[in-house]
Amino acid sequence: MWFGNKGNDNDVAVSTRVRIARNLSGYPFPGRLSAEQEKEICSKVAEIYKGKEWKINDLSKLSKAERESLADKHIISRELAEKEGMSEYISNKAGDVNIMLLEEDHVRIQAIEPGFNVKTAMEKAYKAEEILDKNAEIAYSEKYGYLTHCPTNLGTAIRISVMLHLPSYTRAGQIRELALQLAKLGLTIRGEDGEGSSASAYLYQISNQITLGVSEDEIVERIEKIIGQIIEGERSMHEKLAESSKSAIRESARRKYGMLMYSESISSKELTSYYSDLRLAAASGLIKLPVEKLDELMIRSKPYTIEAEHKNTSSPEERDRARAALVREIIGNAEI
Amino acid sequence: MLCEKCNKNEATFFYHENVNGQVRNYKLCADCANELQKNGELNIKDFTSSPFDSIGKFFANPFKSMDKLFSGVFGETPSLLSSISSGRPAAKCDCGMTLNDFLENGMAGCPSCYETFENDIEPTVKRIHGKTVHEGHSPARFREKNDLKKQIEKLEKERTDAVSSENYEKAAEIRDKINELKNQLKGE
Ligand SMILES: [Zn+2]
Ligand SMILES: [Zn+2]
Repeated sequence: MWFGNKGNDNDVAVSTRVRIARNLSGYPFPGRLSAEQEKEICSKVAEIYKGKEWKINDLSKLSKAERESLADKHIISRELAEKEGMSEYISNKAGDVNIMLLEEDHVRIQAIEPGFNVKTAMEKAYKAEEILDKNAEIAYSEKYGYLTHCPTNLGTAIRISVMLHLPSYTRAGQIRELALQLAKLGLTIRGEDGEGSSASAYLYQISNQITLGVSEDEIVERIEKIIGQIIEGERSMHEKLAESSKSAIRESARRKYGMLMYSESISSKELTSYYSDLRLAAASGLIKLPVEKLDELMIRSKPYTIEAEHKNTSSPEERDRARAALVREIIGNAEI
Repeated sequence: MLCEKCNKNEATFFYHENVNGQVRNYKLCADCANELQKNGELNIKDFTSSPFDSIGKFFANPFKSMDKLFSGVFGETPSLLSSISSGRPAAKCDCGMTLNDFLENGMAGCPSCYETFENDIEPTVKRIHGKTVHEGHSPARFREKNDLKKQIEKLEKERTDAVSSENYEKAAEIRDKINELKNQLKGE
């Protein structure tokens, strides 16, 4: 699994995701497929990704919480988790490449890496894409490139998304300005998961918006360059902060850590509000807490994931208790 | 660091404001920040306890907002629409999708829609991507075709060179090779 592991530029970057959309020639797009055709596409693609390396997962056999938990972990999209009827995804052994079937497009290949690592995510995603290309007729036109359900994905049909923790940009009121600048460069920024939680973790996803008329290499180059600059900007503000208010930040982070350690029950909102400050202090080297463990905690403590992974957690109160235990399990033996 | 207003709670809001060169820094707790914002003394649109409350509206779903932009082709600029569908208001793809539906929904019905309406949707594609022609990877079956085309071009140059240096035997050899490749290209 990608989370819980160290990655490049982990102090600011949480994860890097590459998503490639592909469709099979000769079929309408999802939503206009007959049940018969849905089955046909699923078994066709399943036949292509057979063998020890791949596993077919039938989402209709999972509980609501189990499906939503896969979306919490960015293994599948929220749309697929909530899709009715036939829904499947194919995963590789390592769990870092996942292929969604019959989402917005027939096939969506996703690769996810911890930290900021576009190259590795691209390599893994395209390795899986080549298998499909070799064994199926992919819808393509010389003018519009890879043909996708929505014209916003035409051309290369790739979306590269990097999740960043940007407390300094946020506190400086710079997110809107950043969004305007990024828009000019063909990139977008949005809140993590596109969800607005009342207590923010200051996590943002930055992705390429334009997919047609720019090659894959150009998209990668642009993302690497611009996100590299944003990471540098956030990092330099961390350094300034660590210089100017070192003891105040450390004190505040240690108190928060203590609160978390000795609580018997923690709400999702409360944990989220602590996450950002602890991560900032850890990233600035003011407390000794691995940031990747904090990121793992953020994912595994989400309500659906707790419900999917722990017994007797169907009520919020029970989940809050399980969350407190999870905190101790994941970051409990850090010597901060 | 305590909140500068109540001096009781810990400050978690650090807001930097620059109005006509007048710089102010706020250090506030969540409660005081909320109160000031409610009174209208502080305009922290960019920075509330949830930055997504304000910002998220724009970016919560870039695809959705794109879709709106897309169908906006209709609402905003009827002249563009009439030029798009002039002469073919009810043009229909084999999948049953009409040009009208495609533009209104902002979603294609099947891959062939892009071929059927290739020219009709060009202004819309340009509006979204700024360009209208794909660059980059192609499926293997197109790559092979492109490779063959490139090879033929290269050989044709070699043949011209051979003819101009009066090496007719070599030119004939190259010609045979070119014909072979051309047949391969046709066979695809
Ligand atoms: Zn206060
Ligand atoms: Zn069609």
